[in-house]
Amino acid sequence: MAPKRPKSGRSSHPDEIFPLVLTSATQELFGCRTDEDVTRESPYKLLKKDNIIQDIKTRAAVSDFSPVKQIVLDYPEEEMLLVFDRSFTYGQCFYLVLTPEAKDRILSPPEPETPEAFESEVSKTPQPKLWISLGSEQEIDEESVTETREKLCYKFSRVRRKFGVPVCFSDRNTAAAKDSYLECASYQDSRFSIKQMQRDCGTQAVPRLQSSSAQTQWYKNICTQYYPRELHEEDIDSTVQAESLTNLFNSVTPRVLQALQQEEIMNVFLDDCKALGTLAETDDWSGKVSEDLVLHYAFTNQKYTKDKKISSINWHPTIFGKVSSVIAVALTDKKKVQLDESSASIGIVFYSFSDPSNPQLLLECPCDLSAFEFNPSNPNIIVGGCVTGQVFIFSSDRDDNKENNTPAACYCAVSALQSSRKDPITDVQWLPQTFEVQGSLSGRQQNVDQKTPITPDSVPATFKHLDQTWKPLLRVRQCLGFAIQNSRLNHDFKCTTNFTLKFCNVVLFLFFCRQDGEIVYTDWKLEKDESGRLHSAKPLSCFRTHQGLVNTIQRSPFFKDIILTSGGWNFAIWKEGFMDGPIVMSPSSEQQYTAGCWSLSRPAVFFIGKEDGSIEVWNLLESTSEPAHIHAHITSAKITCVKPWTVSREFLASTAIYVWSVSEGIARFSFLGFVSHTKTTYFHYRLKQEPDKPVKLQHENREENMKEYSHYLTLEENVLKGLGL
Amino acid sequence: MAEVEETLKRIQGQKGVQGIIIVNSEGIPVKTTLDNSSTVQYAGLIHQLVMKARSTVRDIDPQNDLTFLRVRSKKNEIMIAPDKDYFLIVIQNPSD
Repeated sequence: MAPKRPKSGRSSHPDEIFPLVLTSATQELFGCRTDEDVTRESPYKLLKKDNIIQDIKTRAAVSDFSPVKQIVLDYPEEEMLLVFDRSFTYGQCFYLVLTPEAKDRILSPPEPETPEAFESEVSKTPQPKLWISLGSEQEIDEESVTETREKLCYKFSRVRRKFGVPVCFSDRNTAAAKDSYLECASYQDSRFSIKQMQRDCGTQAVPRLQSSSAQTQWYKNICTQYYPRELHEEDIDSTVQAESLTNLFNSVTPRVLQALQQEEIMNVFLDDCKALGTLAETDDWSGKVSEDLVLHYAFTNQKYTKDKKISSINWHPTIFGKVSSVIAVALTDKKKVQLDESSASIGIVFYSFSDPSNPQLLLECPCDLSAFEFNPSNPNIIVGGCVTGQVFIFSSDRDDNKENNTPAACYCAVSALQSSRKDPITDVQWLPQTFEVQGSLSGRQQNVDQKTPITPDSVPATFKHLDQTWKPLLRVRQCLGFAIQNSRLNHDFKCTTNFTLKFCNVVLFLFFCRQDGEIVYTDWKLEKDESGRLHSAKPLSCFRTHQGLVNTIQRSPFFKDIILTSGGWNFAIWKEGFMDGPIVMSPSSEQQYTAGCWSLSRPAVFFIGKEDGSIEVWNLLESTSEPAHIHAHITSAKITCVKPWTVSREFLASTAIYVWSVSEGIARFSFLGFVSHTKTTYFHYRLKQEPDKPVKLQHENREENMKEYSHYLTLEENVLKGLGL
Repeated sequence: MAEVEETLKRIQGQKGVQGIIIVNSEGIPVKTTLDNSSTVQYAGLIHQLVMKARSTVRDIDPQNDLTFLRVRSKKNEIMIAPDKDYFLIVIQNPSD
């Protein structure tokens, strides 16, 4: 069939295009049905040349492709492009592209040429354009001020004879003379009215003020006197009875109590770091610094602290402030203990934060101290326990050694050698007593904790007299069948006060812990045994909870019957009175726990020091199975002692190689610490911590009656003396 | 009545509390644990302070109201809890 030639004068097709009409059969055959396979959007269809030739051969003259048969046969490529020509551009609904170049050109249209950038050789000044008026000259005309009429000029003259005579001008009111002016009054035109549909109005709150004053009628008050108003009796009574007072308390009390507690716990306005007088920079830094820590201090002293190990450390309880915050450090020799008389070894070194290189004070004793404590009521008295089992008393306000620059003092008193223990003292504590200096009969009492000797008795002793005449007051016998025991006493007392004169109903309970991890709870009451001598009762309960040396027993500063013990590989929390076991026991950790203490400002937080030199912070409110925070690898050696600073409740000192200070506020949590082997370094960092929910404090107001107790002790001493102990 | 007493004892028993004063809305002390001259002095001065503080808070935002006022000084801390008809003044000496 010959294709229809376009009759109309449409542009004739270029040579590469051949318009075709395809019957629906052909369309189906080649898969190019109009509006189904090919549409306006995708008008291109590639047909295989072989298919076309096949079709031509099959249908010969009937085939739609017959006019292009020759072209198809000559076509070099394999595929020919068939384009669906919807708009009949070239006369038919399809057209076949005859040359490969055209096909390529159609299928991939060439990139439009990028226009060349025109350079203007010389930028001409812009020509001024004609002014287009937008109506602004009308506004200018309105605003401008012009004269509407000519200025009037009046000329006055007088008769000549009045030349030079003063002239007087005056005003005249036109209203005074009748008919001197004409006015056109305004009137309301009834034909014309505008109703106001909307009115703007504003309101303002104005406080009601009432001012009043009173004044005497005198001309001037020479003096005034006043007295405050007071309610009459019946008014007071009626007021107090009123319900509104109850309402007041109901609404107000929780807030007040919380505020009081906050105040009591810590002083949020005090910045401890500033108060310590931190130095701007130090040049002697040692130890690792983790990301949270900043080194602040290095305490070093070649003469005194060289090659010594810190065995115990304490903050001075009252000296606090910029210049003289003091840390006392007890040093022991690393080597074996020898009593070396030639050189008095240094017992306690006082360091101040303001001067990290020079110790402020040295307290000497002939042998190395292993534990020491400040007397809580008189911080100048320090008791130290020595490695030989003796107890020393120091007074830090003496100054024996005037030669050196550093003041030094020797010990004041020492316990009797035969009545003290033979083994090193590991812990010393002061009993809560009143203190009198001069060693009168109601003198101070200390409980010295001692490691047990080879005999099966372990004896804590209470000394009463000064200076070589100390004898133990109470001996606690522990018949537990262990040969050599090193037990560490840590006493916290609970004392009820109804006592008879003779013997104690004064009940003191002690927690002992032993080196093998056993915790013993004993009554300190004296009993009579078979021989009539007084000795202590049998232990009430003992538990083996720790697998190693128990190094810490400490009562919580907030709850008087919660006790933390740590040792071996775990720690435990006990409640006094609940003697079936610990109420919380931690899971065992990989490293040994070597030290622990409660936080002084947050009731559920405590710190555990570990053998690898890291400190764990445990928060019982968050979880009891893992620490809330771990300060890992603070030091390379183990932490042996952790002590909080009671003056500010914020600092924590832990040692023996490293000393830390923890500062915690309601919203911040700081660590300060320092390090020593031959030197001490001071770290500081802060990290933010969410505040816990407030914990209610319990206050059990059981207070000992000090005087009566000291009376009792006097009596007891007399009794024991009488018995010959 | 007994409740009031008991609450007062509880507050008084907190550590460091030096005194408690209950003042009515005119500034006249109703109940106190301090001596008379100190009571009167505290009541008069603090009453004015509370009025000023309360009016400040309400001027800034009329929907707001004063709930608690704490004045901290070098030696102690004064806590004032206002209520509809009375206010409660507690003077505490913080332990540190």
